[in-house]
Amino acid sequence: MKRSRRRNHNAVNAASLARWIVMTAFLAVAGLTYVYLTLQLYHLGERRKAVENELTSLRTQNDVASAQIAALTSRSALQRRLKEGYLKMIPISEANIVRLTIPPRSPDEDTIQPVANPSAAR
Amino acid sequence: MNPNSRSRCVLVCAAFIGLFSIFSFRLIYLQAIKHDEYAGLAAEKHVYKQIIYAERGTILDANSEVLAHNIPVETVVADATHLSNPEAIVGPVSNELGIPSRQLAEKLNSGRRYIVIKREVPEHTANALREKLRAGNLRGIYFEHDATRIYPNGSMLCHVIGFTDFDHRGIQGVEASMEEYLHGQDGYRFIEHNRAGQEIVPYRGQERAPRDGYQIHLTVDLGLQNIVENEIDAAMQQYSPQKATIILMRPRTGEILAMANRPHFDLNLRSEAKPEQMKNRAIIDMMEPGSTFKIVAAAAALNERKLRPDSEVFCENGLWKFGGAALHDHRSFSYLSVRDILIKSSNIGAAKLALSVGEQKFYEYIRRFGFGERTGIELPGEINGLIRPPQSWSKISITRIPMGHEIGVTPLQMTMAMATIANGGKLVVPRIVKSITTSEGTTISSLSPVVLRQVISPETAREIGDALRGVVSDAGTAAAAAVPGFTIAGKTGTAQKVDPRGGYEEGKYVVSFAGYLPADHPEFVGLVVLDDAHTSKPELNYGGLVAGPIFARLAEKAARYLDLEPHEEIRKAIPVERVEKKVPAKRIHKTASAERIALTNASRH
Repeated sequence: MKRSRRRNHNAVNAASLARWIVMTAFLAVAGLTYVYLTLQLYHLGERRKAVENELTSLRTQNDVASAQIAALTSRSALQRRLKEGYLKMIPISEANIVRLTIPPRSPDEDTIQPVANPSAAR
Repeated sequence: MNPNSRSRCVLVCAAFIGLFSIFSFRLIYLQAIKHDEYAGLAAEKHVYKQIIYAERGTILDANSEVLAHNIPVETVVADATHLSNPEAIVGPVSNELGIPSRQLAEKLNSGRRYIVIKREVPEHTANALREKLRAGNLRGIYFEHDATRIYPNGSMLCHVIGFTDFDHRGIQGVEASMEEYLHGQDGYRFIEHNRAGQEIVPYRGQERAPRDGYQIHLTVDLGLQNIVENEIDAAMQQYSPQKATIILMRPRTGEILAMANRPHFDLNLRSEAKPEQMKNRAIIDMMEPGSTFKIVAAAAALNERKLRPDSEVFCENGLWKFGGAALHDHRSFSYLSVRDILIKSSNIGAAKLALSVGEQKFYEYIRRFGFGERTGIELPGEINGLIRPPQSWSKISITRIPMGHEIGVTPLQMTMAMATIANGGKLVVPRIVKSITTSEGTTISSLSPVVLRQVISPETAREIGDALRGVVSDAGTAAAAAVPGFTIAGKTGTAQKVDPRGGYEEGKYVVSFAGYLPADHPEFVGLVVLDDAHTSKPELNYGGLVAGPIFARLAEKAARYLDLEPHEEIRKAIPVERVEKKVPAKRIHKTASAERIALTNASRH
């Protein structure tokens, strides 16, 4: 290379270039990530809204079903079905009622009781 | 540069500096000083406060059977500014919602922006309409989530449960009195919309979750209520009274187990009900109680130790002139013990019992029994009744009030008085609300019994109770009120109806029976009141012959429902087939009743 050209030559500062490239790339990636995340945020927002709507719809269905169950099992409905002959009820006669006498609670009931199987106690 | 051009340059620079200074000051003014104002205006444009409605609490009976709950519905509305093609919308909307096309077209062209087309549209109908509008690409119709109150049991317990208005505010019954707990607390959320009106979820602002209304558990047992409703319906059919009331309550705790009134209405068709049907007569109707009130005179005389249960009182052979007016008994009695005054229901005897304690003391006892003041039950609209102080009594008032005339009491007050006797002299506050819980079942409040006062001594209450057992015997006035297998204590009442124009109505009576069962350890107190019952013969229109048998039938069923064990001695005395044998309603004459009593209470009286 001639001396005159060498004198006019501007050497590229590789380190500085690399720094700029890295910074630009970083900014580009950061920008793209920001855009991507913002879009994700909107997308997830829509998903959240859809799930909320689905939940509301399920709750509504559940409430409607509960209302139907309550209406069909209400006294009035059962009485009506009884009159229509869909249900049969026979009152229990006094002679068929067996009353069990509940033994009085013993004061030492909470103490340790002997087990039924003596071998288990060994 | 000559001075001229320099000055021009300075001038231009100064102009620019001035201009940009103005811009800067304006910017600072808008961004800093007026920030809040303009931020608020901007927020108003695109930020909305979305209300998240709380669900109204349910009402349940003592066994958690549903009495009132919500069902989701939708309100169909139109935004007139979004209606692209109103003519095309009329067809599908009128078909699905069942609204005449002309009426709907008039609504849509009313000139208003927000138009409510129909309220309380069921979910499936709303979904079908939504699909049709979407298929036809029709805009401007919107659906708002709402809920409506449903009462699965229709007219049963209607006066106690009450109902709500369009804004879901309780306006009668427990719905009104427990409004504070049932209503819950609405939540909210600040949201932003895009141009299409859709929410931008990431921009959600402050949010508060709603708190659903609490569940109200009543003391009423629907099984017992069903028994009472059937009996009151049967009584309405048999006697066609103008009005009727039946109350069942547990004397120890004051819990109302059942309460029914006629006329009544269907809670799901409340808009069709007449005001007369909506009255809870158990607490807002005043009546002259008649002879059931004699327990107060007897209790006062015995508690003050003026007389003993077996002390004899001369009953003037059926006619007594006092204060210039004649007082009659329905039969001629000479000497009757205090016990027999209640058993035979002697007016003259009761008057003399009141005279023995004096006007002031007798008035005190009336008030101590709770008459003349609200009982404090958790139901709206309860009245005090009408008890005049002794200063405004006439000369003969002391002889008329003991037999339940010249006073006004509510059926609930009368039940409370009988419960006081059953409860060893303790007046307990009646309750209709058992507990308040969250929708998850956590108990917020559990109401325990409140003893208001000891009205009479336990001994006096026992003596009155013994006498009241005799009322339900062949010697008493309510033989037909007996229940096989159980000892009953009770008192009949037959009062001539008060004429609103003054005096009494000829041939019209309010008949009643108040009693409790079993007499030894009362599990429930009951009151049956029939206003202007129509019997086959006028002489059969007595409390013991009309209200007594109704009480007997419902007490028998209630005892079976509550699994009360029949009295062993009494049960042994009755052949099983006699216990099971149903006595026809027509057989209310004395012989059949006496026969029945002989097998039940005879061993004791």
